[in-house]
Amino acid sequence: MAIHEKALIEDERLQQHDELVVDGVDVSGHWNTMIAPRTVRDYDDDFETKIQTYTGAENVHRCWQCGSCTNSCTMYAQNVQFNPRYWIYLTRLGMKEELVKDKDIIWQCVSCNKCTNICPKDVKPEGVMKALAHWMEEEGITEKTPSSIFDEEFADQIYKTGRIEDGKVMQNFFKKTGQPLLQEWLKVFVFRMMKHLPVKHLMAMGFNTIHTPRTKSWGKTGDVLKSYVREQKEAAHG
Amino acid sequence: MQQDTVLVVGGGPAGLAAAANVNSAGYKAVVVEKEDVLGGAPILSGYAKLVPSGEWAKDAIGRMVKRVEDDANSTVHKSAKVEKLEGEAGNFTATLTNGESVQAGAVVLATGFTHFDSINKPEWGFGTYEDVLTTTQMEQMVGSGKIACPSDGRVPERVCILLCVGSRDRQIGREWCSKICCTVSANLAMEIKEISPETDVFIYYMDIRTFGLYEDKFYWKSQEEFKTKFVKARIAEVTASGDGRLLVKGEDTLVKRPIIIPFDIVVHAIGMDPNADNPELSQVFGIGLEKHGFIEKAEQYTNTCGTTRKGIYSCGAAYGPETIDDSIAQGAAAGGRAVADLHALVQKAG
Repeated sequence: MAIHEKALIEDERLQQHDELVVDGVDVSGHWNTMIAPRTVRDYDDDFETKIQTYTGAENVHRCWQCGSCTNSCTMYAQNVQFNPRYWIYLTRLGMKEELVKDKDIIWQCVSCNKCTNICPKDVKPEGVMKALAHWMEEEGITEKTPSSIFDEEFADQIYKTGRIEDGKVMQNFFKKTGQPLLQEWLKVFVFRMMKHLPVKHLMAMGFNTIHTPRTKSWGKTGDVLKSYVREQKEAAHG
Repeated sequence: MQQDTVLVVGGGPAGLAAAANVNSAGYKAVVVEKEDVLGGAPILSGYAKLVPSGEWAKDAIGRMVKRVEDDANSTVHKSAKVEKLEGEAGNFTATLTNGESVQAGAVVLATGFTHFDSINKPEWGFGTYEDVLTTTQMEQMVGSGKIACPSDGRVPERVCILLCVGSRDRQIGREWCSKICCTVSANLAMEIKEISPETDVFIYYMDIRTFGLYEDKFYWKSQEEFKTKFVKARIAEVTASGDGRLLVKGEDTLVKRPIIIPFDIVVHAIGMDPNADNPELSQVFGIGLEKHGFIEKAEQYTNTCGTTRKGIYSCGAAYGPETIDDSIAQGAAAGGRAVADLHALVQKAG
């Protein structure tokens, strides 16, 4: 039988066997390719509630699938696979597997907020897109974004020392995001500073980068702060 | 003195409104009801809270029944049908199955509808599985104040309501939208959640038609406040899962994937068929039926309460799927029109 909607067959569902016996019949050779069923067998009832814990996605349950968001979407105009209406539907029913298939494009939302302005049910699709992107990042489905990496580095230094060292934040951020430590703009920056010869300041910066001073009587404040932030996160997202 | 009397056939919301309007004009109403109670479908089928008032059916319709029964100008024949009708507009004689004869100047047919029998959609499990119910059965369950699976009495984790059962379906000769099932189902979803907060309700739809003021009051509210999930899908069949639950099979038309989802209770949102007695009513009263089998209107704009025969009027769900509120309005209009035409007849003769 001809396959009418080839677009519906994802590569991961194609199963090819060198030798295959089905119900005692050897079907090796011409009939060795099988397609795994694509039936949805259950919904994840808690997923919608989970996504609603992220700021901006609180109203996702209001969606009635009119499609205004997708229709107004800046990204949809670039790529018809970018479909906020569809992802909102999947979120509502908890079809995580389907969502994960689009992990490489959901984060591309440019937050133009045309969807949020046009939505007749006040779903705030832009917020949902951001929530989904955050959820995927937190679940390790997508890689951490540079901004998350920066935030982490920033927070880590606070926990440890009660303060940040600009130079160190930058250095570690570049390192973790695989960027060259000696950025062009940084060279220009340092060069211009040198011209004014703020020797004392430069020395202090250099010293602090190596020595890493702590805020006075910081003690266990960092640990307390860290566990407080963790508790808050858990309270919000489970 | 038949010219001061209107015969009202059917004692549901439309017929009761017609009779009350006839009475309020100082005319006599004779109500003939085939069942042994007045009130029609809302009472006979044990509806819970009505759309859109939220009032219990027995209270709301009860007031309508009382208004007619308490009126000295009303006569009620229960457990009776009209067997024969002779005469013409202004001068009808009806013979009832209880042997009585009624002289009336006009007849209002408030004969309503018959609920679609889900047995006619066997692949959706009604009649095969105990936990497949109709909306009327679910209404009764809500009325009882306890949501439980009929099979073993457990509280359902998940209930789904399938829309358009016996509506918008050419396969089974029902080519009409029954108009109110979407709203009733949204209302039912809220009632289920109210009684049983641990139960999640899903509504499987092809379109949602919560028209007019029902949009926010029922559709939006059920989504936003009661977390009803609306799934756009076509249902193929309902089967047993083997572990005591039901499996709803079909295709989610938005995700373009087949679905086989477990549920504890499946509810059919049954539509409105033409009254099963309509062929008989057509014979007895000499009136025409429109192509779906409902009573045919005389003229859409200038004789909205008329049938194809002069002096015989109709209203409500006898003309096609109708809401209770509009049935009442149409019943009142038909009663009024019957009285007005009788009045004109007397004036002309006098």
